[in-house]
Amino acid sequence: MIEFGAVYYDGRTSARTVVNVRGLAHSLHITGANVNIEVPLTGIRVDARVGDIQRTLDLPGGAQLKTDDHGALAALFPRANRFEAWVQMLERQWGYALAAVVLTAVFTWWCVVYGLPLAATAIAHTVPRGIEAKLGEQTLATIDKSLCDPTRLAAERIEAVRKRFDTLTAGLNDGFAYRLEFRSCKQIGPNAFALPGGAILVVDDLVKLAQNDQQIAAVLAHEIGHVHNQHGLRMALQGAGVAALIAALAGDAVTMTKVAVALPTMLLQSGYSRAFETEADTYAFQRMKAVGLSPEYFADIMVLLEKHREHAAGTKEQGKDATSAGAPGTLDYLSTHPATAERIQRARDYR
Amino acid sequence: MDEPGRTEPHLGQNPYAYPTAIAPDTPPAGAASAAQTVYPVEFTATAGEYFRIWIVNLALTILTLGIYSAWAKVRKKRYFYGHTLIDGDSFDYRANPVAILKGRLIAFALFAAYTFGGKISPLIGGLFALVLVFAVPWFIVRSLAFNAHNSAYRNIRFNFRGAYKELLKIMIGGGILVIVSLGTGYPYLKARLVRFAASYHSYGTSSFELDRITKSLYGVYLKAFGLAILGFSVIGTGAAVLGIFKGARGGMSAGILLFMAGIYLTYLLVFAYAHARTTNVTLNALAVGPLRFTSTLGARDLAGIYLVNIIAIILTLGLATPWAVVCTMRYRTRKTTLIAAGSLADFVGTQTGNVSATGEEVGEMFGFDFGL
Repeated sequence: MIEFGAVYYDGRTSARTVVNVRGLAHSLHITGANVNIEVPLTGIRVDARVGDIQRTLDLPGGAQLKTDDHGALAALFPRANRFEAWVQMLERQWGYALAAVVLTAVFTWWCVVYGLPLAATAIAHTVPRGIEAKLGEQTLATIDKSLCDPTRLAAERIEAVRKRFDTLTAGLNDGFAYRLEFRSCKQIGPNAFALPGGAILVVDDLVKLAQNDQQIAAVLAHEIGHVHNQHGLRMALQGAGVAALIAALAGDAVTMTKVAVALPTMLLQSGYSRAFETEADTYAFQRMKAVGLSPEYFADIMVLLEKHREHAAGTKEQGKDATSAGAPGTLDYLSTHPATAERIQRARDYR
Repeated sequence: MDEPGRTEPHLGQNPYAYPTAIAPDTPPAGAASAAQTVYPVEFTATAGEYFRIWIVNLALTILTLGIYSAWAKVRKKRYFYGHTLIDGDSFDYRANPVAILKGRLIAFALFAAYTFGGKISPLIGGLFALVLVFAVPWFIVRSLAFNAHNSAYRNIRFNFRGAYKELLKIMIGGGILVIVSLGTGYPYLKARLVRFAASYHSYGTSSFELDRITKSLYGVYLKAFGLAILGFSVIGTGAAVLGIFKGARGGMSAGILLFMAGIYLTYLLVFAYAHARTTNVTLNALAVGPLRFTSTLGARDLAGIYLVNIIAIILTLGLATPWAVVCTMRYRTRKTTLIAAGSLADFVGTQTGNVSATGEEVGEMFGFDFGL
């Protein structure tokens, strides 16, 4: 016969009664000061074990028993909470804890490197083009409101760039409504943005910086690559995924410690953004070849932009520019691009 | 098992300086003549055991793409409740994981709609924000009710009966007041919120009662504000004298990093100060039946704990999180005591219906902070 000590709480008041419990074939016999009851086993709900905390037995009618005799409970209720009993078995041993560390690390790494980008690409494909275009419209509206003025370029310059653009987008047939937007943005400097859905924004300074229209075409091809590969949408989706993943990993962190997760989030985002740049570069090289332009022009404009960046860094402080504020998938030439030399090399090596 | 009806105070390893709340000139309500018993809050969780629970539940959560997270939440909470003891009896967390899972799914759907709705059209985003103003108090009330209903001590549940309408009035009225008064009304709003959260709680049939705290909170926030001004001006002056901003070109110089670390440390200290003092003020003003509380959290202690936690978590790539959580909770419980002017055995329970977990989970997902 199984016998164990417990505390009895009747559920009506906060009084506690130390009791002795005897396990009979189909019932528990509970005895103590003012307590002498027999309760059928089928009416008792046992909670799952967590660490070494006391176990609670809910008795019919709202009373409760508490005990830390885990052995007695396992013998009396061998089939209770089987799933959580399994979890508890894992939680008890350092070996499983170590395995869990490895598993969590590997799975997190896989999610970040493969899982999230794959899922984002798949989801981006199912998003209707109209909704993607709305996303772009809103970004453009935000940029217009706070950063940019109407273009000051001469009409014939605009026409020349447009012609290049039409050549690059001719026969693409990928469902995107490609169109060019020109703006004068003093705060941004020479740059171009791809907005989700097909709008491509060219800053006046970029047109002025370029030595010829082929170089501008190289940048446009890169931006078309962003649109074609849905980088804006994918970035938003991957960002949400990273946020969810980090929230799951760091959900326990104490309030102030949450600051510590901002850094990895930022690093992951910029990692994704660099991968998108490379993807857009590759697309640009292919597209340029297809319309008979040498990727050499891409290398040339990159060199010019890099020179401009170095010059600007010498005259004023280079903080984050506006593009980091919320235009996903932008070609952010001005921010520190560690891989600029590599990008130039790739363009020159492209066959 | 502890013997029932024990009246000897047991102080654990930490005999505290006796709480000011029972100094002769301010006796706790109706407790002047009764024999008082002091109960420390014991906390028996260990970092090692919690680490194993934490990591195994984290791995299962990730493997099930988040579905298991509801069970993980319940197991972790049960671990801490079960290791928090008063007079030999632990607290119980009794939430049903399925209810939490349902709440999480609703919260996730709302959050996704909110995040992407705003990106597609400002109209949808604005509409959502407007709805949120009215929904937040509802989520908070439901969250407090859910947590109270699922917390028990000696088989008597806690309750929360605050009404949505009242909280909505407090938040809208208080929000306007804070804006009109250029922020000086904030401690008043905070006091109203704390009062709302506290005084509608009950343990069984015994309501929580809160003394006036508005004045004390003004003192706390005034000092916190002064501390912030002092800290930032010292750092700003130091930076200007050392000429940190002049030499900077593009990149991050050591001086800039030092400056940012100083700003962050000041913020940490101010945050810890405000948190420690508001908690102390609130708990010291609280009464539940014959019970009063003393809370003696130290701002510097708390700031130190936060700082060590952050450094440990960063250096271990997050693996120190369970250790950090246990350390913080151990400190907080160590600094809290109960003073009973009567027996802990005489509280009377009530019957209450079930409470859904939606409010709790939505609140968590959107990051509402409404701790008492």
